[in-house]
Amino acid sequence: MALFAAFQTSLLLALLSLRAYQSEVLAEPLPLTPESLNVSIDSAHQYLNLQWSVHSLAYYQELKMLFQIQISRMKTSNVIWVGNYSTVVKRDPVLHWSWKSELPLECATHFVRMRSRVDDAKIPEPRFWSNWSSWKEADAQKSLGRDPLFLFPKDKLVEEGSNVTICYISRNQQDNISCYLEGQQIHGEQLDSNVSAFKLNKVSFIRKTGTNIFCKVDQKDVIKGIVLFVSKVLEEPKDFSCETQDFKTLMCTWDPGTDTSLPKRSSQSYTLFESFSGKKILCEHKNSCNWQVDSDSQEMYNFTLMAENALGNRSVSVLFSLTHRVHPKTPYNLFLKNVSGTKATVTWKVHPIGNYSTLLCQLDLLGEGNVIQQHNVSIKENGEYLLSELEPDTEYMARVRCADANHFWKWSGSISQKFVTAEAAPSEALDVWRNVKSVSGHPTVTLFWKPLSKLHANGKILSYNVIVENLDRPSRLEVHSVPATANGTELTLDQYSYQIHVTALNSAGPSPASVIVVSGDPGNEEAEEERINGTEDGFSVSWKPQSRKAIGYVVEWCDHPQDLPCDLQWKNLSSNTTSTVISSGAFRPGVRYNFRIYEISTERMANLLEKKAGYLKELAPSDNPQVVVSNLTSHSFTLSWKDYSTDSQPGFIQGYYVYLRSKAEKECHPGFKKATLSDKSACCQHRIDNPEQKTFVMENLQPESVYEFLVTPYTSAGSGPVDTFTKVTTPDEYSHILIRIILPMIICVLLIMITCYLKSQWMKEKCYPDIPDPYKSNVLSLIKSKENPHLTIMNVSDCVPDAIEVIHKPEGSKIQFLGASKSLTETEFTKPAYLYLLPAEKNYSGPGPCICFENLTYNEAAADSGSCGHFPVTPQAPPSQPGPLTSPENLLKALEKNYMNSLGEIAAGEASVNYVSQLASQMSGDKDGLPTNPPEPVHCSEYKMQMAIPLGLASPPPAENSGLSSTTPLDQSEHYR
Amino acid sequence: MDLRAGDSWGMLACLCTVLWHLPAVPALNRTGDPGPGPSIQKTYDLTRYLEHQLRSLAGTYLNYLGPPFNEPDFNPPRLGAETLPRATVNLDVWRSLNDKLRLTQNYEAYSHLLCYLRGLNRQAATAELRRSLAHFCTSLQGLLGSIAGVMAALGYPLPQPLPGTEPTWAPGPAHSDFLQKMDDFWLLKELQTWLWRSAKDFNRLKKKMQTPAAAVTLHLEAHGF
Repeated sequence: MALFAAFQTSLLLALLSLRAYQSEVLAEPLPLTPESLNVSIDSAHQYLNLQWSVHSLAYYQELKMLFQIQISRMKTSNVIWVGNYSTVVKRDPVLHWSWKSELPLECATHFVRMRSRVDDAKIPEPRFWSNWSSWKEADAQKSLGRDPLFLFPKDKLVEEGSNVTICYISRNQQDNISCYLEGQQIHGEQLDSNVSAFKLNKVSFIRKTGTNIFCKVDQKDVIKGIVLFVSKVLEEPKDFSCETQDFKTLMCTWDPGTDTSLPKRSSQSYTLFESFSGKKILCEHKNSCNWQVDSDSQEMYNFTLMAENALGNRSVSVLFSLTHRVHPKTPYNLFLKNVSGTKATVTWKVHPIGNYSTLLCQLDLLGEGNVIQQHNVSIKENGEYLLSELEPDTEYMARVRCADANHFWKWSGSISQKFVTAEAAPSEALDVWRNVKSVSGHPTVTLFWKPLSKLHANGKILSYNVIVENLDRPSRLEVHSVPATANGTELTLDQYSYQIHVTALNSAGPSPASVIVVSGDPGNEEAEEERINGTEDGFSVSWKPQSRKAIGYVVEWCDHPQDLPCDLQWKNLSSNTTSTVISSGAFRPGVRYNFRIYEISTERMANLLEKKAGYLKELAPSDNPQVVVSNLTSHSFTLSWKDYSTDSQPGFIQGYYVYLRSKAEKECHPGFKKATLSDKSACCQHRIDNPEQKTFVMENLQPESVYEFLVTPYTSAGSGPVDTFTKVTTPDEYSHILIRIILPMIICVLLIMITCYLKSQWMKEKCYPDIPDPYKSNVLSLIKSKENPHLTIMNVSDCVPDAIEVIHKPEGSKIQFLGASKSLTETEFTKPAYLYLLPAEKNYSGPGPCICFENLTYNEAAADSGSCGHFPVTPQAPPSQPGPLTSPENLLKALEKNYMNSLGEIAAGEASVNYVSQLASQMSGDKDGLPTNPPEPVHCSEYKMQMAIPLGLASPPPAENSGLSSTTPLDQSEHYR
Repeated sequence: MDLRAGDSWGMLACLCTVLWHLPAVPALNRTGDPGPGPSIQKTYDLTRYLEHQLRSLAGTYLNYLGPPFNEPDFNPPRLGAETLPRATVNLDVWRSLNDKLRLTQNYEAYSHLLCYLRGLNRQAATAELRRSLAHFCTSLQGLLGSIAGVMAALGYPLPQPLPGTEPTWAPGPAHSDFLQKMDDFWLLKELQTWLWRSAKDFNRLKKKMQTPAAAVTLHLEAHGF
């Protein structure tokens, strides 16, 4: 016991002494100067690595200390960085610290020193800094070698947007060095005589093979380059979430963002860490990771996803309960059972989720892409639902998807199945209409019906049945089957009333019958037509009910009235309706639409009620009528265009404009007014307000004038084209009179001429015989009546020639004389034959005077007097000419006044002219004595004038050379040829 | 020369004999061995085709490397590409090459270049570039086979590669990326120069092979007479 007490006392003393010692030591400042400072360079990462130790920690296990570090560049005084480094120093420590340099460490010499201070609460204040360590130099240039040029850093990898400093070291100061970044020269800051630095701010990604920077020594084949690999910025994973389909596996997904991979440098990697379990896995994929759920059913999970590449990392976390992240698998085995026309049963299966989980499934029924019905069904594994209210013969699609019924997270994928419901009999009667017309005396009914809509057809229509029942006479029913492609049929009936039933048939049965009654007698199909106006919505048609028994009305029209067939349309209306709007996509402006309103009686017979006609929009006429001009006189003409149809125009014809223009007339006629045409020419316009007036009389016109007219119709939208005028020229005022007179005259003259020609011989003998009949001479009558009523005409038969002397009568001459007169004329020049009935002088040898005989029977004023004048009768007329000349003096005097002018020069020798007998020769003298003389022109032989002298006055012709004469019977005509 | 009456029959017989032997003349016989001529022509055509193909490929690849490698006047020193077979040769030396040596140099050069090119293909970062390089490698393999065919036709043995000296185009540990790009640049440039040279080589061979064939034909004609 004593021993134990002594041990206890000694231990206590020892502790006290130790405590006293410690208090003494710590009361002094600790001189913990860093020792053995060593500086090295990590060129690859541009780190300046520091290593040092601290001594004099013999009394402490560990001590928190603060180290202040200074870094200088180029020289010790150029401090570029000062920083503190705090750490817990343990016994016999070797401390490490690194500093990353922006400037490549090869580019400049760096110097480092440090000092320390205790920064531990165990050491009371005040605390003092130790002394600075000595400067330590870090010089990488010494180990570079002898190359003339260096470029640093080598193939650096930076993140886009970083700042990068590059430098080159030249061994020869004389070298001229130029540097290029992506082919563009760059200029840097000279750090010393051999070193220049280039600072690149916010470098951008250019290409995966890096940004090329190179420097070259001018005039030398020295080139050095580096590749600066710029990586895309590593993004934080987006949309990170985890879910399970079977409580066995959790699938986590995310959007990785930009790929930061570079050649020879892999892309970012992803690590999934769960903090509750402390498990960590490296994800195989860049955007998903599978996590195995423990069997002991960990409820809560806290995942951290970390993206990491060579330059850094980004992370994102999510905390959730496993039961709230259930994403069921897509249902399967979806089938349709018991599909009828209106009902169908849907069955499907789901993958089970745990033992107690219930799934909520959504069943959609789609028709034509739209959801028609939607039902929610809670199931464990097998689902079933009865769909109802379906349409027959309709294609539907059933679609199912499921989700966790307790904690909705996401719908599963969908499964769908199409199906078609069965057909049913058509549900509606056909909409039937008819058109009754008479063909060859038989009423022919054309039935039209509109195809049933898909909603009412309830299946494919196979055919139409038309049953015709005679209402007036019991007979068998006529049944007609019309193919499904037709939408009408034609029936030829008798003059009876018929009830027609029309039904549509599909595979399930017929539709309700549509009944219509037609009568063989079309009845009164006429009604007053009323005009209506169309609007953008269509035609507003209204009518007045005629009877109270109507069960409905039908409005009938043609969509294309100008075509054949005109596409008959109709609209059924109820009995209490008296107006409707007819609209159709086929309606066009400028087309006349005719509407007929029928009243449907209780007997289902249609009676015409009213007729309407209208235009959706009236247009101006596009054509002008063909105008016929008639009754053209010098003052008027009539225009008519009776063939012009007013019904087929693009608007209701309200009347016509008659245009008239004339150059002769400046003013317009009454009823016309001045108008200016589009070509700014003026004309006169007359308006006809009655569309049925299709004639117009142009009056008060000038004769022999050109008028231009044009007739154009007009509607409420305007008039027709005013372009082509027709010219009309009014005739002369008297031309019609002239025509009435001259034409018959010309005809008469022609007739006379023809007659004369046909009776020319008769006419010649009657009017101008070769030997005129003196008795018929009007001269004679003139003389008789005025001068000498006793004058008579000498008849040849009364005149007895006393002698005919032929002076020379050659044979040929005789023949000629007796021959054709033409031959005589031809031979006159060579051997003239002269027949003298008067005594001729024997000695006359020269050309004697010529006597011209003029026949006074013919009053030819145009007789050639000159022909006679050439041969004036000389005063040496034969003295033998006796006094009988004096006896006709009176006659000559009477004639002188009228005829002496024609005698010309003869008039001078009036007294010497021998007027003897018409039988006297015109020439005296010997014919044979003139062979050398050219025969004088035939003037001398012309028979100019003849006159009859009373026998008593004529001197007897002298008998001369009678011995030589021979009596020759003379033909009168031949002689006086 | 004194021709007698019997000589005309002799001439006719000679002519018939010549006509009879005409199908046996190698230059005219299409069914017999055509000799190295067509192979040389095909090889020449292939070099021209590859030259055209390389022009497109080199443009794409140098753009992929980026400036200054795709600049037309960029002519860097041949630093790391010393192992590449050189196509440039003194003109007199080239003229003095015999056929065997000429063909052997071509064969060896393309064998090396093909290996380097396959290494280039493995490093390419884009799929499209890899496809283009693979296609060109296939064509270059065809050229190598064609040269081997010509050599075999002429009776020259193929040069045997030394075991374990398979050339590789993998950068060394100190090889910087910039130097690697320079090597790629030189590989394409040297390949282009080799194709130019080969076109001239095979053109020369082609002309050389045509001349003896003509001489043989003439010799046969003289023999027939």
